[in-house]
Amino acid sequence: MVQPIRTFRFRRYLSSLLTLALAAGLALLLIASNLSLRDTHYATGWALLGMILFLACYNLRKKLTYPPLLRSATWLQLHLYVAWITLLVFAFHIGFRIPNGIIEVTLATLYITTFTSGVLGIILTRAIPPRLAVRGSEVIYERIPMFRRELRLRAENLMIQSVEKTNATILSDFYTAHLADYFARSRNLRFHLMQSHKPLHNLLSKLTTQDRYLGTEERAIAVELRDLIKTKDALDYHLAMQGILKIWLFIHIPLTYMLIAVAVVHAFLIHVFLG
Amino acid sequence: MSKTSVLDRPKRWDIPFFAERSQRDQTPEVAQKAQEELVQRLLVIEPFAKMENRKKLKDILHNDTRLLQFHDGDVIVRKGDYGNSAFITLVGSVKVLLDDLDPTLLGRKKTKTQSRWRSFTKLFTLPRMPESRDTRLYPQLREGSGTTAKPGTTFAIQDIPNVLKALKEPLDPTDPKSPLKITNTVTMETGVLFGELAALGRIPRAASCVAQGDTQLLEIRWQGLRDLRQLDNALRQYVDQLYRERGLKDALQNAAQIHLHQRSDTQLQPIVQTAEFATYGSYDWYGSYQALREENSNPLTQEPVIAAQGHYPNGLIIIRAGFARISCKQGSGEHTLGYLSKGDVYGLAELAHNAKHPNDPTPLTTTLRAIGYVDIVRVPTATAEQLIIPNIPVDQIPVLQNKVSSPPSPSTPTQNPSAEKDRIAPVILESLVENRFINGSATMLIDLDRCTRCDDCVRACSSGHDNNPRFVRHGTTIDHYLVANACMHCADPVCMIGCPTGAIHRTTQGGEVVINDITCIGCGVCASSCPYENIRMVEIRDQLNSDAIVVNPNNGKPIAKATKCDLCTDHHGGPACERACPHDALKRVDMREMDILSQWFNR
Ligand code: HEM
Repeated sequence: MVQPIRTFRFRRYLSSLLTLALAAGLALLLIASNLSLRDTHYATGWALLGMILFLACYNLRKKLTYPPLLRSATWLQLHLYVAWITLLVFAFHIGFRIPNGIIEVTLATLYITTFTSGVLGIILTRAIPPRLAVRGSEVIYERIPMFRRELRLRAENLMIQSVEKTNATILSDFYTAHLADYFARSRNLRFHLMQSHKPLHNLLSKLTTQDRYLGTEERAIAVELRDLIKTKDALDYHLAMQGILKIWLFIHIPLTYMLIAVAVVHAFLIHVFLG
Repeated sequence: MSKTSVLDRPKRWDIPFFAERSQRDQTPEVAQKAQEELVQRLLVIEPFAKMENRKKLKDILHNDTRLLQFHDGDVIVRKGDYGNSAFITLVGSVKVLLDDLDPTLLGRKKTKTQSRWRSFTKLFTLPRMPESRDTRLYPQLREGSGTTAKPGTTFAIQDIPNVLKALKEPLDPTDPKSPLKITNTVTMETGVLFGELAALGRIPRAASCVAQGDTQLLEIRWQGLRDLRQLDNALRQYVDQLYRERGLKDALQNAAQIHLHQRSDTQLQPIVQTAEFATYGSYDWYGSYQALREENSNPLTQEPVIAAQGHYPNGLIIIRAGFARISCKQGSGEHTLGYLSKGDVYGLAELAHNAKHPNDPTPLTTTLRAIGYVDIVRVPTATAEQLIIPNIPVDQIPVLQNKVSSPPSPSTPTQNPSAEKDRIAPVILESLVENRFINGSATMLIDLDRCTRCDDCVRACSSGHDNNPRFVRHGTTIDHYLVANACMHCADPVCMIGCPTGAIHRTTQGGEVVINDITCIGCGVCASSCPYENIRMVEIRDQLNSDAIVVNPNNGKPIAKATKCDLCTDHHGGPACERACPHDALKRVDMREMDILSQWFNR
């Protein structure tokens, strides 16, 4: 029988509830152990390393599409909630204090930055796609330069046509002054990251001010040019936002491997000197 | 310049049907001789003896038929299988089992999935170049090497089951120890043609057939059957008549909503006698659809009306094949409420209401239109009122929505019309119907609100297919959903029409549409027939010759093969694309499962 599809909200509630219950149980256990003066550092240390290795295994799972070890979406769900539990274990492991010792400080910093990059990542992965879906048409990241070239050619042809048809150079002069560079490369990425439409509005209003100097035929061409400007703006937006979606993982993954490397050194040193 | 490797361009009949499954201990020469003897034998018996154009007939019989031997109890075809061939009994008889059987008794084989270990190790030996093939598998002579493919080794065109152990004993319906409880059977004697409905209508086999005693069958692949019909008027009429008769019963039994599947032949007979067949639209719907898309005209004007809103229902309509749109008037336009496909019923609510309230009859509350082409069965009102409606449990009769003014629920009766959240947004529904995506049984939908454009789906697909992604994460955007360019494994797979070798076929297990790379001759018919542009022609490379492009020695042109999504039938775990999506953004959906679809849209 086909399983009914659960809503995301239901899944979120259920997983959060389970995680909270597990975290509460774990916290009680650790508090009780600490109160009975048992040393929990080894237990929390190994548990933390184990969980971090599990989190890192997601990278491996993505590479190994076979054998079919759970769906990637299930892995991500486990990843997210196990990651929250590592925070609790981490807090107990360092005894809710800022650690000292160069390795320990490095390790804690790495853990916190990896964790923070993960949290940032999940926010970005949930926030960006709906915005991309409503801006411009769907475009594959790798094909953006090709589309940009196409747009530039269309804009240039439009300007050539404009001069040929109307014998006036107002639009083509405007293009040379304000648009040649805009169509030549990706622009305003910084603004796009901030979800700002300012550069687009500036360009369009500059073009609008030219309207009073244009004849009927040129006006029609200006309308087409406006569309091209908007399309290019959406393309830049996709470049910026899809870029961010890719870049954050390039931070999250190296941090993970650095974290594991330093954690292994830390565990080794503890065993050699304290074990 | 890059290197090239030489291979003859494959042609239709390069691999005759008999060579695909010749006996293991038979050399190709012996098989060839046996086939020639068979053709001589066939030419003098009916229905072939009186056919004209003997040369063509001989060619068809030689290349598109083969002799199959069965022993008592052997399963010939299984209900539900997709088959591309029909049969004629030459010796012995065949028992048609009309009841459902335990699938294990039917010896259903697992599809040829690669072992998990093989799938895993393959990840580390992916070819560097795209579309690289082991050309030893191709039957054509490789230049210089002289290797040919071994007949019967790699072909997956028709999967007639092997001897079935569980059915070894003679079939005796009265024997309580018999592994089968057969109560509902028909015996077909020598000379009877069967299986043509599935072969020509691109539908699953309607019943299982078992050999009675030692039986010899002539198997004709559908391309052959199609050509034979052209050769002989009588055969054409005969096939068409059979097609009609069996199709009618099949359609009635398939319409789950009217509960006829358990009725015996005699119980069905009065309904069959009064019911009528009708076809709307064009069988070649994909051609007109492609033209329509280019023209960008209003699709409703192109869709013939089967039943109109406001008219009194003149019968219960059952969809036998194809698709129909349900719409209702809104303002000066029409609003799509849903679509019907094979086995769905139209007009039940109105007929049931009218039967119950003869003094307050209601006209049809919606309009039914043929999308492309539709085969329907119409059971006249009187018959439906007497023989069908009284047998449907009251709670399963759809509620008549306040006559014409308020729209009824979309097609599936399982849906609760009042639950707004369970509805598919009208704009989405409209587009799915308009673009004929409703044809898909595994349409790839991507929720662009969740998709991070990471391309994990494409990578997973690629690694499961020797480094060749079998779809593009691109396609038609409907609202915030992308219908990606991936084979939808259509209910009406028009790509299969016209394949000269039968290389594109349905798997016997799941009915996925797959391409046999070995027998594909690269003609591109499937790719150009696919209305959704989901089949890609690729130039192949020779693994054994430094990945050089393989060319035809006669004209130096590259050898092409058709490629598309095969729904990962070769691997365990289902479609890799869906499994690889971290954000639950991608799903392969069967468009007939409206409740799942609407749940997915409303997650
Ligand atoms: C602190 C320990 C953590 C480690 C070691 C870790 C490690 C990893 C690794 C190795 C991947 C696989 C990336 C890939 O191959 O594509 C990954 C993905 C991911 N992680 Fe973490 N992670 C940690 C914490 C977190 C946290 C706290 C969150 C968010 C709450 C998070 C969210 C994600 C997300 C959203 C993905 C990727 C999903 C995608 O493919 O789009 N991670 N992480």
